Amino acid sequence: MGKQVRAIVWAQWRTLRNYLPRSNKITFWLTGLFGLVWYGGFAFLAVFAAILFSKADELTFIHTVLPTVLLVCFLYWQFIPILMASMGSSLEIKKLLVYPIPRGKLFTLEVLLRISTGAEMLLLLTGVGVGLLLNPGIPLWGPFLLIFFVAFNLFCSAGVRDLLVRLMARRRIREITALLFVLAAALPQVLMLAGFQKHIRLFFTKDPSPFWPWTAAGRLAQGEFSWIAAGVLLAWTAASYVFGRWQFERGLNFDYGAAASQGASSGAKTSRLEWFYRLPSALLPDPLGALIEKELRFLSRSARFRLVFMMGFSFGFLIWVPMAFGRASTPHSMVSDNYLTFVSVYALLLLSDALFWNSFGFDRSAAQVYFLAPLKLSTVLVGKNITAAFFVLIEICAVSTVCALLRLPLSVIKILEAVTVTIVVTMFLLSIGNLSSVYSPRAVNPVKSFRSAASGRMQAMLMLTFPLALTPVLLAYLARYAFESEWAFFGVLLVGIAVGALVYWYSMGSAVTAAEQRKEQIIAALSRGEGPIGG
Amino acid sequence: MDSPAAISVRNLRKIYGAKAAVDGLDLEVPRGCFFGFLGPNGAGKTTTIRMLMGLAPPTSGSIELLGLPMPERAIEVKQRIGLVPDESLLFDHLTGLEFTEFVGRMYGLARPLARERARELLALFELDGEPRKLIGDYSKGMRKRVAMAAALIHRPELFLLDEPFEGVDAVGARLMKEILLEQVRHGATMFLTSHVLEVVERLCDRVAIIHDGKMVVSGTMAELRTGTETLEDVFVRVVGAERQAESLGWL
Repeated sequence: MGKQVRAIVWAQWRTLRNYLPRSNKITFWLTGLFGLVWYGGFAFLAVFAAILFSKADELTFIHTVLPTVLLVCFLYWQFIPILMASMGSSLEIKKLLVYPIPRGKLFTLEVLLRISTGAEMLLLLTGVGVGLLLNPGIPLWGPFLLIFFVAFNLFCSAGVRDLLVRLMARRRIREITALLFVLAAALPQVLMLAGFQKHIRLFFTKDPSPFWPWTAAGRLAQGEFSWIAAGVLLAWTAASYVFGRWQFERGLNFDYGAAASQGASSGAKTSRLEWFYRLPSALLPDPLGALIEKELRFLSRSARFRLVFMMGFSFGFLIWVPMAFGRASTPHSMVSDNYLTFVSVYALLLLSDALFWNSFGFDRSAAQVYFLAPLKLSTVLVGKNITAAFFVLIEICAVSTVCALLRLPLSVIKILEAVTVTIVVTMFLLSIGNLSSVYSPRAVNPVKSFRSAASGRMQAMLMLTFPLALTPVLLAYLARYAFESEWAFFGVLLVGIAVGALVYWYSMGSAVTAAEQRKEQIIAALSRGEGPIGG
Repeated sequence: MDSPAAISVRNLRKIYGAKAAVDGLDLEVPRGCFFGFLGPNGAGKTTTIRMLMGLAPPTSGSIELLGLPMPERAIEVKQRIGLVPDESLLFDHLTGLEFTEFVGRMYGLARPLARERARELLALFELDGEPRKLIGDYSKGMRKRVAMAAALIHRPELFLLDEPFEGVDAVGARLMKEILLEQVRHGATMFLTSHVLEVVERLCDRVAIIHDGKMVVSGTMAELRTGTETLEDVFVRVVGAERQAESLGWL
């Protein structure tokens, strides 16, 4: 068993190391440097904590701050491994089921792997522990009780990860879970913007409940022994062990095939949506009609697209509405007057990866067909662009509906403003997107709800092009401000639409020419990694 | 006394929702046999092999491998099994050498021995040309070859092979076949699923065909074939999949 444990820990280390980019030396060194800064930062924090907690005259401060530090450690420990699992840098214990390892030992291995995926917190807690050990005002046995807190975190982390992996395997629940996860990640910012700073500050500074594991561990680590604190910490550790073990066993027995079959669409539902998919073919001639129909079917079935689409009218509201109408906002601010436009443009930003920048990457197997079939590439791009515009329109309708349901201030002119602004931005995004889809295609897994990190090139392009696409809109707002006239505002937007149409026309020509010349590179780029056309 | 069968399966069932992927399967694979397990797409082959590997618990029924009941004696059984699974069981962020060595160590080989054997096996399967290449970047054929190398590292008695030749080029496939036949000559048992019926016909001495989760026919090649029938003819006949292309007048 010892040999196997060593081998698995070694494989996990190799997996993490191999995650570093290898083909590009600059990226390799940059990633290495980032790792150094990242872990160096935590090492610095650990040393800082060690120095701070070693001071005998800071006992009152330690008493106040230690539970908060432990709470932050807990949140980080539970959050980071989930992100890592979504990126595939954590070994999947279920794959080890085929090897001669007792099932009971697999849980030990899972817990061991949780150490390697939360190394930052272990580093920080070591610093805290060393500091407390060196503190002459704290008995020597105290800091050692932090081991229970570490165990509590490891068990809990194993359980949470297994639970999420199972939820993510179920078709319908996958998107909802991912959405809730993203919303939870945005919650602190939302609370701050909504004016809850005082409550948050109070939560972290007032004497916390002794029944939380971080409070009990903090008190015990400082040598403030009480049977209640000891009981609380032991009970939480035992409960997290039971939870972790239970979820782990369920994960081992979980049948992905059964989960997938349960989530399959029913015949009735399929037929209800059929009219929607067939609508383009009824209105437009083939091959354009068929292309749009295919895009509609594909995108609405893609977990990744559904997630960003839902985020557009949920996450967008969570971000912008508190900023516009929260306690911290001022009445009639730029954001509160134009929140609908802000949410709509933000939704565009979220949708852009799927609809504009990389339009071949999502359904990469189809790219070969586009080059093989007797089709003009401009027809393909127009088909993709019409689908994109259609989804943008639905998104704005959804945003407006949510506004109406929430009884937020809404008027026809504001809806018209949001729609016109979105049209202008969409036209420029489509123009740039057609070019980037041809010049920088990359394979994307449409099933994965969480996106793995986009390429640095893509991120940089996003940073550069989005402000560019927003320029006509900014000019329109400037005109409204300068002339205090809605006519000036909509006039500039109309000019923006005309310019956008021209830019779109020229970019389409360039994209088609480039696609013909770069056919081989496009197919090669889309074939990388596992997938339908991966060779 | 005769040694027990390499694989003995009784009334095996696996239900997904309302559908039975495997429905009351009985199977007996003698030791030292090259056994072909065939069926059309969705017949239940992969589900069966996943249950044999211990990856999917059966809904009901019993499994005995090498005379030992599963899952009760799973550790002893797994120690003596070599797997060429579907691609999902490979570790994409390890290199071929790292993965093969890792599998060797999972079967209890000492690290230096596992590394030495892994090197030799990768050289044999011509996977040593790009030592830093990750399995995630391998082609389909390379992934099958590395899975085969890993399956051989601890010299197992029973091989469970799920489409081992899929995507492998002719040279690689020939090498794999020779190695597998050599293992059978040394007493190992092969349990092979494949859609390439010519390969099954050439390699296997016994064949079973399942359809809709149920066994439809099983026996030696001679027992299955009548007259000049090929295995393909038998397969099409027993799964009732004969379709007339002429019915489409425009084709």
